[in-house]
Amino acid sequence: MRPLTLRRLVWTCAILALVLLACVVLALKLGAVPISVTDLVWNLGRIAIGQSDQLPTDYRLIVFELRLPRILLGILVGAALSVAGAGFQALLRNPLADPFVLGVSSGAAVGAIIALIAAPSMVLVTPLGAFVGAIATITAVYYLGRRDGQLDSATLLLGGVIAASFLSAVIWFLMTTLASRDLRGMPFWMMGDLSTPLPSGLRWIFTVGLLAGIGAIYTTAADLNLLVTGEREAIHLGVEVTRVKLVVYVSASLLTALAVSASGAIGYVGLLVPHAVRWLFGSDYRLLIPASALGGAIAVVLADTLARTVVAPTELPVGAMTAIAGAPLFIYLLRRRMP
Amino acid sequence: MSDRATSTETLHSGDSSSHSGRAVHLTVEQASYAYSPGPGSAPTFTLGTTSFQAHEREMVAILGPNASGKSTLLNLISGTIAPLSGRVELDGQATSSLDPRTRAQRIAMVHQESPLIFPPTAGEFVLQGRYPYGRALRLASEADVAIARGALAQLGGANLVNRPMKALSGGERQRVILARALAQQPSLLLLDEPTLHLDIGAQIELLERLRQLAEENRYIVVVVTHELALAAEFANQVVLLHQGRCLRVGTPAEVYRRELLEQVFEAPLEVELGPAGRPRVTVRVRRRHDAT
Amino acid sequence: MPRNETLRRRETHPFAFCAAVMVFVLLSGVRAQAQSRLAQFTDEVGRPVDVRTDVRRIVSLAPNLTEIVFALGLGDRLVGDTTFCDYPPEAAQKPHVGGPVNPSLEQIAALTPDLILASKGINRRETVDALARLGLPVYVTDPRSVEDMVSSMERLGSVLQAEGAAAPLVKGLRERLEKLDRILAGVPPRRVFFVVWTAPLISVGRGTFLADALRRAGAHSVVDATADWPPVSLEEIALLDPEFLVFANANSAEAEEQIEELRARPGWRDLEAMRRGNTIILSDAINRPAPRLVDAMEQLARALHPEVFAPHGAPSSGAAHASEEACPCAR
Repeated sequence: MRPLTLRRLVWTCAILALVLLACVVLALKLGAVPISVTDLVWNLGRIAIGQSDQLPTDYRLIVFELRLPRILLGILVGAALSVAGAGFQALLRNPLADPFVLGVSSGAAVGAIIALIAAPSMVLVTPLGAFVGAIATITAVYYLGRRDGQLDSATLLLGGVIAASFLSAVIWFLMTTLASRDLRGMPFWMMGDLSTPLPSGLRWIFTVGLLAGIGAIYTTAADLNLLVTGEREAIHLGVEVTRVKLVVYVSASLLTALAVSASGAIGYVGLLVPHAVRWLFGSDYRLLIPASALGGAIAVVLADTLARTVVAPTELPVGAMTAIAGAPLFIYLLRRRMP
Repeated sequence: MSDRATSTETLHSGDSSSHSGRAVHLTVEQASYAYSPGPGSAPTFTLGTTSFQAHEREMVAILGPNASGKSTLLNLISGTIAPLSGRVELDGQATSSLDPRTRAQRIAMVHQESPLIFPPTAGEFVLQGRYPYGRALRLASEADVAIARGALAQLGGANLVNRPMKALSGGERQRVILARALAQQPSLLLLDEPTLHLDIGAQIELLERLRQLAEENRYIVVVVTHELALAAEFANQVVLLHQGRCLRVGTPAEVYRRELLEQVFEAPLEVELGPAGRPRVTVRVRRRHDAT
Repeated sequence: MPRNETLRRRETHPFAFCAAVMVFVLLSGVRAQAQSRLAQFTDEVGRPVDVRTDVRRIVSLAPNLTEIVFALGLGDRLVGDTTFCDYPPEAAQKPHVGGPVNPSLEQIAALTPDLILASKGINRRETVDALARLGLPVYVTDPRSVEDMVSSMERLGSVLQAEGAAAPLVKGLRERLEKLDRILAGVPPRRVFFVVWTAPLISVGRGTFLADALRRAGAHSVVDATADWPPVSLEEIALLDPEFLVFANANSAEAEEQIEELRARPGWRDLEAMRRGNTIILSDAINRPAPRLVDAMEQLARALHPEVFAPHGAPSSGAAHASEEACPCAR
């Protein structure tokens, strides 16, 4: 028997963090404009010793104002979606759950569309509108998913799926009937797009929100191990099931809302990264959560790098890349579950 | 602290007050309950006042046909619901007022199986029984591992430790689930219809093992069942329920009266006393060409 | 070397150094001053844009803007355009930054443009915002009508300090447009169905420059919708019964094949216009708010109203002159 120890937890996360670092370096290097690694290190060094104004302008522009923020956003979004996915898979007792199954992404899109129509010239109108839409959806689905005063997995799943499809219909209705040219970018955004980085103020808020959300879910990690063996079983093993379900629901939904507001709905990450991590490191949620966060960051950074380079100079939306890689993986996963 | 897997002593080392010399005592006194769908509407199901007491090393069978209130009574005993009237106390403390962690250290419940969506290995599964004792992340200590191994060994499942749950047979899985309950080191072990999907051989094996556990680990074991023969053979006490009312409490010999059983189970039955003082129930089916 | 000479050398070094520094500082100051000659404009979506007075490097993110840049004679200053920019042929040879919807911001930045041109109808606001946040000047156009397109060109002329080239171009276009208006004055417009895409079937909405171009070419689009590119159903079109079907394609042979293929399909073959062979193929310039739009408008006007156009463009008395040269495209 090999129970999870603190040592294994720390080592696994350290290794994943190193892999992530390597991916970040790779992502900084690759792109429509080639950058050499030695140049990169040299210039990072220059920044470190405070000589950042000696960098050539276009280099600084490309690497530090375009690629680096994009990579950082990818890390945040990948981590958020993967942890949310792992959380929903436990909450909904369904290995095929992903962060968008409860309609958060559709609600965010509706929010963004309405905001774009109502106040097209407002700064950051898309992320703010999306976030408001997401929160409204989370609240509505919460009330739809209750039974006997607490969240019920099956009811929640059903309520969420219905909300998601309803909101999708609303999206297409709005897109087809509204004249506004401001909506041009919507389909692109909905596919998941990291090319428009957040301003640094919002990025800080996102980082804090991400850490808070992951932290909150992590406090229930041990409980989730019990919850997935059955709700009644978890109650009799001392889990406060009502509280745990609420915490997971709110945290996972908030993480999804943050991710979707910043970058649209990048698919397959929240579904597949937790499974990949389970396959590699086991299903213990105390390891699964931090490992999924790191794994999700790795996945999105790699997918985005591919999206930027595979048909350069045109950029694919990162959601298209994750779909191309993710759909075959998803099919494989499906087949494995059906004997 | 020994880390040998098999000694039952390992299972007894713990902080449970039941093993400090005071006998464990379960008191159910005039406990009743009512389910109602909403405030203001009439209760749809009630459990009428029920009373019995049990001591350590005893097995109590809650007996009755379907929808007689057995699960409700079990939930009252386990503390997941509070009685509408009367009291349900373990060692003088109302089970429903225990905080979840303490309750999980005193009471273990084995349910009919839920599907496992991310099945761990058997060892990891049994280790979960130690969670009620753990700190923040409930990471297992060496003592926890020893206790878990001991629990599996006591059920003859030591070799299952590293096998994944989904690869186990039904009987093996049940042993692992029971081992998890044992790893909780409870005073009270509750089982809800544990024999439902087992064949007769496995049923007998399970109940024999439960008797043995009650004796060795000094549990109170409460089993909900509708199997007349098994309850008669293995229980020290029987609580007979019918349509939400507690009809009789007592030893099997006291409770198994033909008229009572026939009324409750709505079947023609014969009861006779066996050699050990335990009643034997047989089915009496009238056939045209039989003399009876 | 004697000691006093060495001493003297050492003393002069600091002077030389200071002189060098001063010269350097002066020169950079001068350069900075030259760089700071900016003019402020407001673009067509109301954004203030600071543009150098000597724009040398232009990046265009829309095919129509590329055409306008070349028409203004500034083709050699265009350092980057999109993969869809195909007219004039030199535009296709320029370094590409990607598609209009998803260009590579890195590529654009690597070209160190002095000005980026974008079009509201084609590019995404996210792209424009991201480029602006990088400190790159972006000028966004938003032509809603043919006149908008012409004044847009005029404004771009002043933004790019090319009024000299812009003025005659603009004047010429306006004259042609006025002439077209005059010829078509009082002539009832023909009802047309403009096909943007066949599957799904998409036409043009009333708020677009395209609809305006159609109107001024003597056409009336039977589809009256507020959405820019409304999807429509074939039945609806059959009900509206347009007199002409108008297609736009750079390659007229391909378009004729497409029409032949459509002619065989149910729904399409029942349209009166199709049965009578009243289909018009316009050059795809009709799709772009650029100078060639006027060519396409004239082409359409001749095809729809051959009776008011005589050879050499003189207005006729109303008799039909179906000259091959006037409308080689009408069938």
